[in-house]
Amino acid sequence: MNTLITGAGSGIGRATALRLAKRSHICVADKNGANAAAVVKEIEAAGGKATAFEVNVLDGDAVRATVAKAEALGPIDALFNNAGISVRTTIADLTGDEWDLMLDTHARGMFFVAQAVLRNMVPRKKGAIVQTSSDFAVMGVPGMAAYCAAKCAVYSMTKALAQEFGDDKIRVNAIGPGPIDTPILRGGRTEEQYRASVAANEARTPMGRLGKPEEVAAVVDFLLSEKSAYINGQLFHPNGGAVMW
Amino acid sequence: MTDANGQGAVVVTGAGSGIGREITRLLLEQGIPVSAWDLNPGDLTGHNSANLMVRTLDTRDKAALQKAADETVERFGSIAGAATCAGIFRPKPFLEVTQQDWDDHFGINLRGVLFTCQAILPHMRAKKKGSIVLFSSTLARTAKPTTAHYAASKGGVLGLMRVMSLETAKEGIRVNAVSPGIADTPMPNAVMSRDVVLSRAEGNPMGRIGTANDMAQAAIFLLSDDASYVTGQDIRVNGGQDPF
Ligand SMILES: NC(=O)c1ccc[n+]([C@@H]2O[C@H](COP(=O)([O-])OP(=O)(O)OC[C@H]3O[C@@H](n4cnc5c(N)ncnc54)[C@H](O)[C@@H]3O)[C@@H](O)[C@H]2O)c1
Repeated sequence: MNTLITGAGSGIGRATALRLAKRSHICVADKNGANAAAVVKEIEAAGGKATAFEVNVLDGDAVRATVAKAEALGPIDALFNNAGISVRTTIADLTGDEWDLMLDTHARGMFFVAQAVLRNMVPRKKGAIVQTSSDFAVMGVPGMAAYCAAKCAVYSMTKALAQEFGDDKIRVNAIGPGPIDTPILRGGRTEEQYRASVAANEARTPMGRLGKPEEVAAVVDFLLSEKSAYINGQLFHPNGGAVMW
Repeated sequence: MTDANGQGAVVVTGAGSGIGREITRLLLEQGIPVSAWDLNPGDLTGHNSANLMVRTLDTRDKAALQKAADETVERFGSIAGAATCAGIFRPKPFLEVTQQDWDDHFGINLRGVLFTCQAILPHMRAKKKGSIVLFSSTLARTAKPTTAHYAASKGGVLGLMRVMSLETAKEGIRVNAVSPGIADTPMPNAVMSRDVVLSRAEGNPMGRIGTANDMAQAAIFLLSDDASYVTGQDIRVNGGQDPF
């Protein structure tokens, strides 16, 4: 089995790579090549097999070249389309470039990756895809309009792909994680701001705690496995109850 | 949920048929003790074994549920999980729905679920751990003619699930729902011809109807510690037919 994971150098992608490596070769793709290489080392140290790819999902040509190389290592049966970024700026201060970067990374980037992978999956009539959306796709969050819009785009694309490729025996689902304690929560924040954000997230989450990346990885594992053979086009929330709908 | 060597049983209502029967089978296969409750336990009747306790009961009967829960704890030490699958489905045009139809559907599909959870929760609270899976239906959110009373009862299950999940979230207890699309069990086959049941595959993105196993696997996942950060959610297992 061969699994491609983008954004696999850190956080949820990394945890999923480590977990799935117990049953699959992992193509560890990240724009940060050093982090990707480090995750490959971790997988190998645990007895698994993995290959690192340095690729920025903003670059369609680079994505297609990466997917071709990954396919050459074995047919990609499973894709975790996960690379993402976060920006926190009120809409009044948000620049067009920031807006574009957010939408391009999530919507356009996941489109490039999914398209390149599906071209190979469709003729084989077999495969599963999970894309990382967010709780915020169904919930408005002040100061994060661009992120919310990008994650909602990912969810809508997921539903469309699920219906388009069901006939080809390919399932496409999204995950909508709640607050998960990964480096993205720290990004662009002082230690004090980070701690305030943790406290706010604990307060808004019925379970009263942040999730661990491993707890999201377990959901992705389920959705990529045969155990979810009839689950398609869904947004699955490992979120401690933060959003229920 | 507990592993093969751990402690605690999973209560399955509606365990005599269809999805509940399949959940029971999968749990036993994993070595997890099951307390199987049904009005008609079918081929489980009398099959009490080291890991299986079978009780013939009506989930509308609060006292019987209480007794079965207590006996489960006596027998297996604790209750680690529950899957409420007991349900009925008797479609009828809205204007023909009688008070009896309404009361049967709400009594079994909704009040029975409340009573089952009330019997079980105190045992989970005592252990500060547990996972409950309530069976709702895709019809809780979508609409098909002749299902008003059923859909209303299943919508109620989602409300119950969400509030129960909130009230128990800080106590190590998770509550979620599974909402099947159509699953090929005795339930739809009892009220539709075989041809009609199979024709539901048309227009489904996956080109097939669901199976009891499809639904059971989702419940098994939610019962397991792999779903440790999942609570208050409704997992729709429908091939992507109604993706919202
Ligand atoms: N099969 C489907 O297409 C489908 C679709 C949506 C939702 N569901 C839901 O999934 C659950 C399981 O359905 P299934 O397909 O396995 O149905 P089923 O008819 O095969 O099994 C239901 C079981 O519940 C038991 N039961 C009914 N009333 C009871 C009562 N008062 N007390 C105790 N036990 C009682 C029955 O004896 C039966 O064994 C139900 O809640 C149903 O509404 C099923």
